[in-house]
This record gives sequence, structure tokens and C-alpha cells, in this order.
Amino acid sequence: MSDSLTTKYIEIQNVEQTFKTKKGLFPALRDINLTVAKGEFVALIGHSGCGKSTLLNLIAGLTMPTQGSLICANREIAGPGPERAVVFQNHSLLPWLTCYENVYLGVERVFGEPRGPGARAESRAQLKQRTDAALALVGLTPAAQKRPGEISGGMKQRVGIARALAMEPKVLLMDEPFGALDALTRARLQDELLAIVQKTQSTVVMVTHDVDEAVLLSDRIVMMTNGPSATIGEILRINLERPRKRVELAEDRHYVQYRKAVIDFLYTRQSHVEKAA
Amino acid sequence: MKTFIRVIEFWVPSDDRSLLEFGGGLFGPATRFAAATRDLCFGRGEGLPGQAWDAGRPIVLKDLEGSYFRRAAAARAEGLTCGIAVPIYKGKDLSSVVVIFCGDDAEHAGAIELWGNDPAESKDMNLVDGYYGSTGDTFEFISRSISFRRGNGLPGMAWERQTPVFLPDLGKGSGFLRADGAVKVGINRGFAIPCSTLDGSNFVMAFLSALATPLARRIEVWEPDAGGTQLHRSFGFSEVEGELTAADTTAIYGTAAGALGQAFASGRPFVVEPMIAIPMAPQGHVTAVMALHF
Repeated sequence: MSDSLTTKYIEIQNVEQTFKTKKGLFPALRDINLTVAKGEFVALIGHSGCGKSTLLNLIAGLTMPTQGSLICANREIAGPGPERAVVFQNHSLLPWLTCYENVYLGVERVFGEPRGPGARAESRAQLKQRTDAALALVGLTPAAQKRPGEISGGMKQRVGIARALAMEPKVLLMDEPFGALDALTRARLQDELLAIVQKTQSTVVMVTHDVDEAVLLSDRIVMMTNGPSATIGEILRINLERPRKRVELAEDRHYVQYRKAVIDFLYTRQSHVEKAA
Repeated sequence: MKTFIRVIEFWVPSDDRSLLEFGGGLFGPATRFAAATRDLCFGRGEGLPGQAWDAGRPIVLKDLEGSYFRRAAAARAEGLTCGIAVPIYKGKDLSSVVVIFCGDDAEHAGAIELWGNDPAESKDMNLVDGYYGSTGDTFEFISRSISFRRGNGLPGMAWERQTPVFLPDLGKGSGFLRADGAVKVGINRGFAIPCSTLDGSNFVMAFLSALATPLARRIEVWEPDAGGTQLHRSFGFSEVEGELTAADTTAIYGTAAGALGQAFASGRPFVVEPMIAIPMAPQGHVTAVMALHF
């Protein structure tokens, strides 16, 4: 982590989340307390049903907590906002629009209208410039005029990332963004994400099931206990120098130790999900 | 049987509470160290016991040489290289400072970790300091990278329960989150105790020992019943007999009813060779007595 990672940027305070179900109340999360510094990359990891995505949705403002509060940049999170962009596992692209138009749509929504009193909306040329830059950032300039049905799963996910980054969010929230991709494509996109985050210094919170992905990308890995009433069990600080090179890290002694620590947590301490299956 | 803890001693406030005086200890074959100890006293901030008194929290002194430690020559002669001082408070008053000594030769493998949480700062319990002896950095590296939440891992369990926690086998399924690294360096037992503080902070001392050099020959934890009239052994483990049965587990405590009762009633350790009874008072209130047999 850089020296700048000392201030609280996202603050999650005493958060609980309970859902009403047909069988009664379901306590999904309890006693969630976490701070994320500006520019930090945090991975949320845990077994299915541990509330990782629920927590991400709370940070995104897509759902409100039953108890507690969430703060981003000193403002309470009261709903979704362009300062917190979300990339889902399902790319959520509009199939009748081109890659360019999918990204432009988001850009237009954020920058095509005045962003405050006295501010002016950006011109079409400026919006186009932003869209082109975002597509170039994820290496999709050649496919800009193609529709989602004409490109691979990895490329679709890149469009989703470009759309999110084009909005210049303060926080990038990613819910298993590479979970549906094949191993090679996933690895390539992870490497691209590493480079993009290095360049943009984005604050990222990412949900993942993938231990290697978490260790490779993160400054901290937040390991969650099994649900119901899931909470944070352990936090592992990843002190690997950046930029990180996948091939070099594969044999790095500390990388291997971090990886084992996460696996130990998931498959020894929090293993009952697998045993019950 | 060699034990990871080589010497254990305790210091108690003088009548006018201006000094710490020797209260007792178990020195085993470390007779020179014992001789250099008995007549000492420490002011606040002086020596290892005085430092713990002044800090109001446990202190790990990883290298006794070249430090404020006053008995370095005697310690060196006995092969003692590391000291851990743990203050115990009864109410708001210091009742004693327990000091534990270990050596880092190849025959005494083990580790001692001090974990701390400042509730005003965060919900995490982080490694404050650790002594890893000859275990190498495999285990230490992850310990220094990890934070526990209340109830998780060995330190987190002791923090939540506010009583000692013993894990006799750190291998798979023990709930010990760093099992892989521990087993690799030969550590197989874990024991964690919540420590006394006055400022609301939380500290846990974790002892991790290897099969060949257990922490002690026998460890027991005694807790009062609901009425507070008797102590019951809530846990017992002997390196020879294994887990101790529930038989013969009751001791009536009182001023003259044995070391356990005296330790519980006074809030001070009490020695009956080869056993030391140490009161556990995590929030200034004695909740249990730990008995270590050497």
C-alpha cells in the first residue's frame, strides 16, 4: 500500500442486514465494521451465502442496512451514485447498443448534465473523448462499434469495466467480475485490472471466490465467516510490492504464505458449507 | 521433560506501593538466575517488571541483552534470552507483575505472541509483538500480516471468552487459523490468555509450543461456580495423561485453602512447587485461575 492509504474513505459502522423471507427474518450480516482507505484495493472473500455481495450492495447503496451506517468520502451512503460504480459478474450490457454506445450511455448520464450549481454540462465532443479513453484503457478501441452479441465474454466484461471507469467513480465496486470467464481470460483481465488500478489509483472493493485473484490484486483480504449472521472473521494484509507480476509471484515465498493463510481460513476454519454439501 | 517456559516469577507492590518486590517464582535448574533475583526490587519503569507496571500492559522483551533488563548476565548464564512481563490488576490496583522467561536454543522451540486491540481505534486485534525463538519466519510472517476479529482465531477466542483458551492440536480442524505454518515449524499446541489492562484496551498473550517442549507439564484453568463459593476445574491438560477428567476437580478457595484459592481471593499468583497459580483478571476482576505445573 502507498503512504496515501492512511485516511478512512469508506467507513462501515456496526452494520447489520436482515432480510424478510417467507420463512421469517433472515439475518444475513451482523457486526460489520470496516474502513477502506483512499486508493486501497480490498477483496471480500468467503463461502457462498456469507453475505459478500450483500455487503457490496450496501456500499453501492443498492440496499439499505437494517442497522448501522455506511459513509463514503464523509457522506452517508443513502442510495446509488455515480461516485460508486459497480461491475457485476453479469456484464449487464444493453444488447442493442454497441460497446461504444454502452459506455457513452453511462458517460452521458454523469457528465452530460450539470454536476452542480453553476456547473455546465460537458459537450458532445468531451463525452466522446471520455468514452474513447475508457475503451482504450481496457484495450477495446478496435471493438468499439461491435454489439455485445458479437464479442467474447471477456470483452463484454471489459466493456463493463470501461463503462464503470468512464464515470470516474471514487470507488469501483466489483462483484465477482471475472467469475464467469475461463481461466486464461480471467488471468488476462486480472492483469489488465492491476494495470488500470495502478494508473487510476482507484479505490476498489471486490467480491471474489478466487484465492489467487484476491492475493494477486488486493492490499487487504477481508475474510468472512459463514452465514447466516455472517461477519468479518479475519483480515489479511498483503504486503507485496506493486506493480505485481503474476509469473514472478507464483514462486514468491510470501505470496505462497498469504495464499495458504486464506485457504486455511476457508477450508479449515470455515469449512462446514463444504461438509454439508 | 523440558518445557518452553524455563522460568516464571512474579513481583508484588511494596506496602507503600512505591516498588515492586519479589513475590515468588519457579526457577527449575536456573539457580544462578534465582539467586540474582530474590533480593531485587524495581521502581516504576525500572527493569522488565517496572516497565510493564509503567506501561499498564504486557511487554515482550525479545532480547534481554543490551536492554533495560537488569539481570542480563545471570540470564545469559542460564540460556534465557526472552522475557515477557504481564501486569495483573485487581480493581484499579496493580496486584502483581508476572514475568515469564524462555530461551531460543534449538531444544526449546515455541513462540509467544502479544495481540492487542484498542476499541477506540478499530475492531481488529493485531500482533503487537512476538517472540518466535528458533521457529524461523514462516510462522511469524503470517502472524504479522493478519488481524483477528473478536471470536476468531486463538487470540480472538480468548478475547471474546475472557478466559484462557487451550488448543491441544493445532493441526487440521483445530480452529487455529495459522495451522499450516505452525505445524511446519513444529508448533502443535496453542494457549491464549486474556490480559489485565486499565484503559479499556484488550490484550491477549498467546503461547505456542512444540511437542518436545510443551509450555508446561500440566495446564489447568479453574473458574468459580455461580455462587462464587467453589472453584471448579473448567479445563485441564497433562502432557503425560492428556486431557484431564472431571474427577477430583473441586477446590474450596479461601485464605488458607491452597494456592488456587489464595490466588483467586488475593488476585496475586501463588507458588506451591512445582506449580504456580496465576489469577486471570482481564478487566480488573478475577474470573479464573490458571495453574501451570512444571
